[in-house]
This record gives sequence, C-alpha cells and structure tokens, in this order.
Amino acid sequence: MPNLENNLISTLKTKSDWVRLSTIEMVLNAGSGHLGGSFSVADILVSLLYHPELNFFEGHDKDRIILSKGHSSLSIYPILADKQLINIEDLSNYNQSGSILGGHPDTRVPGIEITTGSLGHGLSVACGIALALKRSKKKSKIFAILGDGECQEGSVWESAQFASHHHLNNLTVIVDNNGISATDFTENTINIEPLEKKWNSFGWDSMVINGHSIEDLIKTLNKTPKTNKKPRALIAKTIKGKGVSFMENNPHFHHGLPNEKEIILAKKELSS
Amino acid sequence: MKSYQDMRDAVFEEIFEIAKRDKNVIILTADQGAQTFEKFKNQIPEQLINVGVAEQNMIGVASGMAKENFKVFVYAIIPFVTLRCLEQIKIDICCNNLPVNIVGIGSGYSYANDGPTHHATNDIGIMRTLPNLEIWNPSDSNSTSQIIPYLVKSKSPAYLRIDRGKVPEIYSNNINLMEGFHILKECKNTTIISTGNMVDLSLKISTDLEKIGIPNGVIDCYRIKPLNKELLIKTLQKTKNIITIEENSIIGGLGSSISEILVDSFSNKKLFRYGTPDKFRWDLGGREILHKIDKLDQKSIFLDLKNKLNQ
Repeated sequence: MPNLENNLISTLKTKSDWVRLSTIEMVLNAGSGHLGGSFSVADILVSLLYHPELNFFEGHDKDRIILSKGHSSLSIYPILADKQLINIEDLSNYNQSGSILGGHPDTRVPGIEITTGSLGHGLSVACGIALALKRSKKKSKIFAILGDGECQEGSVWESAQFASHHHLNNLTVIVDNNGISATDFTENTINIEPLEKKWNSFGWDSMVINGHSIEDLIKTLNKTPKTNKKPRALIAKTIKGKGVSFMENNPHFHHGLPNEKEIILAKKELSS
Repeated sequence: MKSYQDMRDAVFEEIFEIAKRDKNVIILTADQGAQTFEKFKNQIPEQLINVGVAEQNMIGVASGMAKENFKVFVYAIIPFVTLRCLEQIKIDICCNNLPVNIVGIGSGYSYANDGPTHHATNDIGIMRTLPNLEIWNPSDSNSTSQIIPYLVKSKSPAYLRIDRGKVPEIYSNNINLMEGFHILKECKNTTIISTGNMVDLSLKISTDLEKIGIPNGVIDCYRIKPLNKELLIKTLQKTKNIITIEENSIIGGLGSSISEILVDSFSNKKLFRYGTPDKFRWDLGGREILHKIDKLDQKSIFLDLKNKLNQ
C-alpha cells in the first residue's frame, strides 16, 4: 500500500508539471489566459480529478466539481483531455475561433458541470446540487473551488450560511489561498483573513492544508468532515504562479503573459 | 373553473396541487409569505424552503437543484428576485439554460406606497434582454393558474410576474396558452395591446373610445417573451393605430417590444405607447394617485387618445 501511494503521488506530481507546461503552450497559441491562478490551483485539480477514491466523470452517482474561480480553466482542460473527455489536439485551439475551450469554462465542455467566470456564483449552485443529491439519496460528493479574492464577494457568505444551516456535509469548499487577486495582494485591497476562522464561524468544519502537497491533498480530499453534519472548507495555502520562479507571488501574472525569454525559462523550470 | 383569492393564491394553489404528487417540485422563498404556504408547511414541508433574505444565493441554489432535475420555483417581491440577483439569473439560470421558474410579486406600482425600492417598472425591459428566458405577465388569477402546469413541465427558464392583491377577473374560460396573447375584442382600425393589470383598464378605455365613435380591439399579451411575432403580425394586418398600455417603464417594456415588430414588419402603422415615465416616483397616496401623476389613468389616456386619433 505505501508503495502504491508513493507511485500514485509520484505520478500525480508529474501530471501537475505536465498540466502547467500544457497551459503555457495553450496561452502562447492564444495570446491570452490566466496563468498565475491556474498554476496555484493545478496541484489541487490534479489531486481531486485523479484521486483514486473519487470519480467525477462516470455513472449516476459520480462526484461533482465546480470551478467557481473559472478564470483558472486553463488547468482543467489538459486534465479533461488526459481523461479523454476532450481531444488532446483541441488544447492548441484554446481561446480561438471554433474552439469550445474558452477563457472561462462552460457546459459545452464535457466534464464541466456549470458555466463559471463571474466570481461568487459557484458555491450557491454547489449548495443547490448538494441539497438535491442528499434529497435524492445519492452518495456523491461535491467540491467547489473558490479563489481567495472571490471570498470578498458577499454572495459567497450567503451560500456559506445556507450550506451550514442545511447540514450539507456532502459539500467541500477548497479555497485557493494564494493571497493575490487580479491586481494586488488581497491584504492590500480587502483583507480576507482569518479565512479558517471565518469559515468555522459560519458553521463549517474548516482546516488549513498545503495546496501544493499532493500527499496532503490525496489524504485529505476524500475524508468526511470531523463533525458529521457540517460542510467542509479546506483553506489551501498556495502560491500564485507556483512552479515558475519569476511568476511566483507576482500579481502581474494574474493575466500577464511571459515574454520570449521568460517562456524559455518557464519551460525549463517546469521540465526540470 | 376554480376561484382564487388573488394571483398569488392562483400560483401557489396550483403548485401545491402538483407538488403533492411530485416531491421534486420545490419552492424557494426569500422570506416572502403566501397563504398557501401553510398547506405546504402542514402537508409537504420538505418542498418549501425559506432561504432567508439572500436572493443571490437563492438563484444559485435553485439552479443547482434544477440541474439535478428538481422543478424549482423561486419567489420574492419583484425588484429583489430580479434586479437584486440579475447576474445570478443571467449566468446560473440563463447561461446554463436551466428550467428555474422565477415568480415575482408586485408588478408595476402594486407596492405603491413602499416607494421606488419596491416599484417594479424596470424589470420587463431588463429581463427581456436575457437569452433563453420566457416572460409571463398575466392579467388575472384564472389565466395565471393556467400558466403553472406549463411552467412545471417546461424545460426553459421562465419569469412569471404577478400583481399583489385582488385583481378583476378577465377570463371565465381557458386561454390558448402557447399563442402568447388573447384577443379580448376583435381587432379593428384601432387596437389596444395591453398586459398584466392594465388589461382591465384597457377594456374600460376601449369602451370609452367606442362611445365617441372610435371602434377598437383589445389584445391581452400575457407572454411578453417570446412574443408570438408571426401571429401578432397576422392579427394586426388590418389595424392602422396600435396603442400599447402597460404599468411599466416606457423604456424597454411591451411598447418597446411592439415597436420593434412594427419597425421590422410594417411601414404604415401608427404606434401610441403608454407606460410609466423614466422617473423614480416618490409620491404617496396609492396606485391610483401614481397613475394620475403618470397620466396612466383611464381619463388621461382616453383624452390623449381622443385628441391623437381624431387628428
């Protein structure tokens, strides 16, 4: 079992690097895309969508994922291609005429549950799905991935109240806590901390995890909440632009693109 | 035909009858009440969820439940269940094309003395720009009750706007729902097209015009989107003067919709549009007072039409 786990973790680390490299190629072809947040959430997406005890893509009782921070769609498309839900060749047409792979994900793409892009929407829809799943006696789990800047939206907290009031213990929120929103560090705009305490005080079972540790993510994601009736919030500490030294913690790379020299360096770092 | 206390009663009594047999029929209310809710609470409490004063979340929750094949109605006073959560309606419901039914109470100046925060005179113009969304604006309780079974079965997002309190009954028979409008008086050289609570007033103005020798027809347009353009164009062939009367902003409502048809399809007709002006109304005293201020009362519209149609 430990060997199997080690193999799995090693495989998933390779997948994360491949996802980041793929997104660089996609962005170069398109001339646009949100790299920073796609890199910070890549390990979370890989750990979720390849988790051996979760199943997002097949059957009546499949688990559900909502990428509420839709601007990180770049990182989910290579995984959908690897899972053969879309063609791998389609990645090169990202954000281009005739493609269904846009800057924000929509339901034309197999594997995408709902259209997202405007922040503060995904959690309320996830709450509705979670309630419906419970009423239908389905055992599926639902995961909503939010940005930390997104937690500045008031609608997030309307939904947080709803989920705890209705004991939606089949719902997990993962906050990609990279500390940077579109233009600046969140502590310079509207301070969102202490996130763990906030989610706890809204009636959630909240904990901080390392959002770049595949080991921790694999161990944590499929767990049920400590208190059975509560929804669960995982505050995943991440680094915006993770994996490329000059992009890490740099607000410019929320939507900024690397230049030619930087591209060579980025590819080198991600391949090493 | 069953009798209802008001349009709200018609909506929720009809939903209740269906919900008793189908546990997937759910009402979400943003802390807005209705008489029938007592029946839900006593007999099928799981199917009525008060989501609290949180309309944005309500729309998202409804979308998630609709995605899982529940038949969901959301309910609140019109400004709060439309403009307050407009982006959630646009994205969560309409972009995802999920069959959520939005029920808004208090069309036009229903909540007259509650001021512009509660007036619903902008919602038609704004909501009709949203792709995939149907807009229903019935004129009485009987026609309202006939829309509900359709909404439960429909696969489209829909917005049903209803008046508050008792309204005069227009229909004692079934309407042809899918035609989208009903000819109450056969179209003549002059035809009034109205919607919602103003249909009753339009019938009175129609009689006034007849008395001074201006024969005219009256159409109740209860489905504002999609408008049944083909049938309307056919119906209006012999009409020269078209009058629209609504308790909704002159910008973007029924009159605007009809004007778009006229520009696209006719070159020989005159259009006279009556609606609320591009203003917030702070005046107190009730709906009739506001109608007088806006010159939307029976006498003002009649005198204006008398002058214009005799020119």
